[in-house]
Amino acid sequence: MKATVLSVEQLTVYRESYAAVQNVSFSLEEGTDMAIVGPNGAGKSTLVQAILGILPRAAGEITILGQPLSQTGVLAPRLRQQVAYLPQNFLFDRRIPMTVEELVGLGWDRLGMQLPWAGHKQRRDAIQTALDRVDAGHLGHQLISGLSGGETKRVLLAYCLVFPRRLLILDEAPAGLDMRGESEFYQLLYQLKQEQGWAILQISHDLDMVRRHCDRVLCLNRALLCQGIPEATLSPDNLAAAYGSEFVRYRHVH
Amino acid sequence: MSIQAEATRVIELFQFPFMQRAVLGGVLTGVMGGMLGSFTILRQLSFFSDALGHSALLGISIGLLLGINPSVVLIPFAVAFALGVTYLLERTRLWTDALLNIIYSSSLAIAVIVLSFVGQYKGGINNLLFGDILAVQELDLVFSGLLLIVCTIFIGLTLRTQMLLTLNEPLAIARGISVTSHRTAFIVLLSLVVAVSIKSIGVLLISGFVVIPACASRLLSRNFSQYIMLSAALGGISAVIGMVLSALFNLPSGPSIVVTQLSIFLVAALLPRFRV
Repeated sequence: MKATVLSVEQLTVYRESYAAVQNVSFSLEEGTDMAIVGPNGAGKSTLVQAILGILPRAAGEITILGQPLSQTGVLAPRLRQQVAYLPQNFLFDRRIPMTVEELVGLGWDRLGMQLPWAGHKQRRDAIQTALDRVDAGHLGHQLISGLSGGETKRVLLAYCLVFPRRLLILDEAPAGLDMRGESEFYQLLYQLKQEQGWAILQISHDLDMVRRHCDRVLCLNRALLCQGIPEATLSPDNLAAAYGSEFVRYRHVH
Repeated sequence: MSIQAEATRVIELFQFPFMQRAVLGGVLTGVMGGMLGSFTILRQLSFFSDALGHSALLGISIGLLLGINPSVVLIPFAVAFALGVTYLLERTRLWTDALLNIIYSSSLAIAVIVLSFVGQYKGGINNLLFGDILAVQELDLVFSGLLLIVCTIFIGLTLRTQMLLTLNEPLAIARGISVTSHRTAFIVLLSLVVAVSIKSIGVLLISGFVVIPACASRLLSRNFSQYIMLSAALGGISAVIGMVLSALFNLPSGPSIVVTQLSIFLVAALLPRFRV
């Protein structure tokens, strides 16, 4: 049996005064790719942020790599390092003078107190290997402000790749890319998933992509409407329950 | 007077202990200001250092009113003040620059009122506004030296965390970094630097030490580590050059240092090939 990487039990999260996520339970096994789908305002980002400890939870338990996430969002650094997260919009001030190498290196660090030169050689090698793997070896010395959209996503994948991870959490990772960029991104992501054995939890609006690639899907609209394999879960009835019946008719016409 | 005689005069001037203390004090402040300043400008807290500087006048005037050495009052005052401002910023969620404006103009107003009760202050308001680097005492140097060590250790050991926090907060939080505690620690350090430097640099000029070398370094740097180190170095170098210029031409020392910083910045801005 596969090990459980993430388990969520009866999770409830409040935003302002309403419950944005209500009583959600699911678990994610290693090597599995799970998508969270649902309409805007369904609580997808809230769910992900509560799992990461960015948002506090009102009730429920979250277990990451076998360890419970504390109420205040604290998890042992050794485990934290095995989880990578890419936010929906990776926004940064373009005037920050940071090179691609420096950004990817931040993915390698444990981020407690450490000497700046700790593990220098190992770190440098890991950065180069990760950048080469995403075909961005030549970008190492460039400033991140000069990267194109597609290059930025590849560099962010190198940030995930630079240290062995077990769980990747992506919030609409290819947002902002055109169709070709998106398909290239997914191609690379799934190659890396195969090589690294990552478990992935990703928010997606692209139901076709979910059907093609994902092993499991959660249909969310504040509460968990259904979960399972994509073919069964993304049935017209379930989609109508999640998105409203107009959406399903629209999808069937096209 | 010949150039040689002039040079001898300046060299002799630097033999005096007060002058050596002044240079050392200037370098310590310059390096600390440059180091913390590099993060301050990227986090858009430049105005914060300015507001801290202005409010320091309130700390000094309270010290004078109570008859306590202003250097002693200033340190706890600046820290408490910085924490208070951060709390207000988080609580009211108003625009940072607007709120800081309220704080610095009102603390300036209260400070002037308090000073009016003190009567004649022997150093004069001029020294408070523009500082008197030649009046730096050994105790001030000890404070500055210790603080530089603390800043270097803190920034050194948490460098990677600071970089990620500066770049993208959600990414940092997801890695288990506590944004609030890091922000508080940074602001406390910044306020300490302002507090120990205010006597020599003055309330009006201190933010120059934080902002100008960092901006010059930004224009000259091609990566983050280089940026921080260059910023600290430019802070130190401009203090030395500024002090020499002030001795040479008999100019006020704090302003001479700031003008030196400005010259370095302008050179950096006018070098087209480095501009990124």
